[in-house]
Amino acid sequence: MRNLLEIREKVKLLYSRSEFILVPVLKFMLAFLTICMVNGELGYMSKLDNLGLVLIVSLLCSFLPNGCIVLFAAVFSLMHLYELSLEVAIAGLAIYLIMFLLFFRLNSRDSVILIFTVVLLGMKIPYVIPIAVGLLAAPLAAIPVGCGIVVYYMLTNISANATTISSMGADEATAKLRLVIDGILGNRAMLVLIVAFAITITVVYLLRRMSIDYSWSIAMIAGVIIDLVVLLVGDLMYDTKLSLGMAILGSIVALIVGKVLEFFRFCVDYSRTEKVQYEDDEYYYYVKAVPKMSVSAASKTVKHINTQRRPVREIEEDEDMTIAPQRVNRSVVTERTGSGRRSGQSRPYQSRGGSRSVTISSEADDPTDDYEEI
Amino acid sequence: MLNEERIILMTKMASYEEGEGKASMSIGKYFRGDYIAVRLLRAFLSGTIAFVLGFGLYILYDFEEFMADIYKMDLLVFAQNVLIWYAVFVVVYCVAIYVISAYRYGKAKKSLKCYYHNLKKLESMYRQ
Repeated sequence: MRNLLEIREKVKLLYSRSEFILVPVLKFMLAFLTICMVNGELGYMSKLDNLGLVLIVSLLCSFLPNGCIVLFAAVFSLMHLYELSLEVAIAGLAIYLIMFLLFFRLNSRDSVILIFTVVLLGMKIPYVIPIAVGLLAAPLAAIPVGCGIVVYYMLTNISANATTISSMGADEATAKLRLVIDGILGNRAMLVLIVAFAITITVVYLLRRMSIDYSWSIAMIAGVIIDLVVLLVGDLMYDTKLSLGMAILGSIVALIVGKVLEFFRFCVDYSRTEKVQYEDDEYYYYVKAVPKMSVSAASKTVKHINTQRRPVREIEEDEDMTIAPQRVNRSVVTERTGSGRRSGQSRPYQSRGGSRSVTISSEADDPTDDYEEI
Repeated sequence: MLNEERIILMTKMASYEEGEGKASMSIGKYFRGDYIAVRLLRAFLSGTIAFVLGFGLYILYDFEEFMADIYKMDLLVFAQNVLIWYAVFVVVYCVAIYVISAYRYGKAKKSLKCYYHNLKKLESMYRQ
């Protein structure tokens, strides 16, 4: 466990040191992945399916706010839909606008959640979404998750019916529109997934905020069970063709991801929980304090202990000066290691690292050296 | 000489100002009623546009049938029904926005109260 905690500290340190470069790189990768997925799923406009263009747009997204990834992904998908059919593009634009005006506008800062939802659904591991979102965000984050599910199902439905749409003539404009709208409103699997994820996010959020031991683990397990139950009930009611094996496997992956998130966000030691009670003029306080688990990451500092020296000529000029019989040049490596104690046992802002000193070298100076010791 | 406690407090406050505090401060500039009124006005406008888009899709969905029936139907009753649906939709949406805005305002005020408390604490540290 201590090794893991040290690794965590190193990861945190690395992130804090190189955040200015890591964040744009991660945004670039997310934008690249999203646009590549849109191109792969639709890909009707060959001009957009160009690696150079995707790279340029991804590079732009890496410096622009997160919402721009959503914007560019929407523009790419609409242009592909326009190439397929004007009516389909109009329907897509109207659906995007309705989602933006009603829901996404409320929580535009969570645009990354929408992107991740679409990407994870594309990668067939959607069960990670409600657990991760419930652990890291608020229940309102169910809105971008729902929007992401709608976008994914709309695009896959259009992609599945692309040949039918392209074979329709100009006089069947309303039929094309109907195909898109039915693909959303009549898709029971999508509606069941939205309901299941919204309930799971809320339950996970409420449980992880409770003042109970192992609240995050309980929230995760309860969330996974509720998610599966709602999906199974939905399958029984609406025949959504749920693959139970995949759902269980996905839930196990969700639990693993949840544990990793817990390790980085909420790593506490319940065995050292303290409960205190006190009062002031107005209130009685019942405080439960759970110490965080942490060790300071090992760091090496090299101290060069060199005696002060002057050029030989200066010393010769100074006849009163006594030359030391032996010259010493030492380097000392001080290795600081975690004390092994946890943060709750010491003051929070105090240095917790124990230290030991190791002498690496002790050497006499080269007699040909131009410097003499004073 | 460096005051460790003061530096910790200042770092916390700077981190708040850069992150969560930005949104809270922009909310804190308004009175509660003003903030919620602005949100409701925006919600009304966006709800209206969304309803128009949804209604347009509804008409286009069955456009041929709609055009065939347009001469048979009572247009006044149809308009009345549309208006009732519009009113229900906008009212429900505005109520949802009201609840969310009131919650956000309360949360922002709470966090700002904590921030101002820290400011006072910092000021008293400088006086010592």
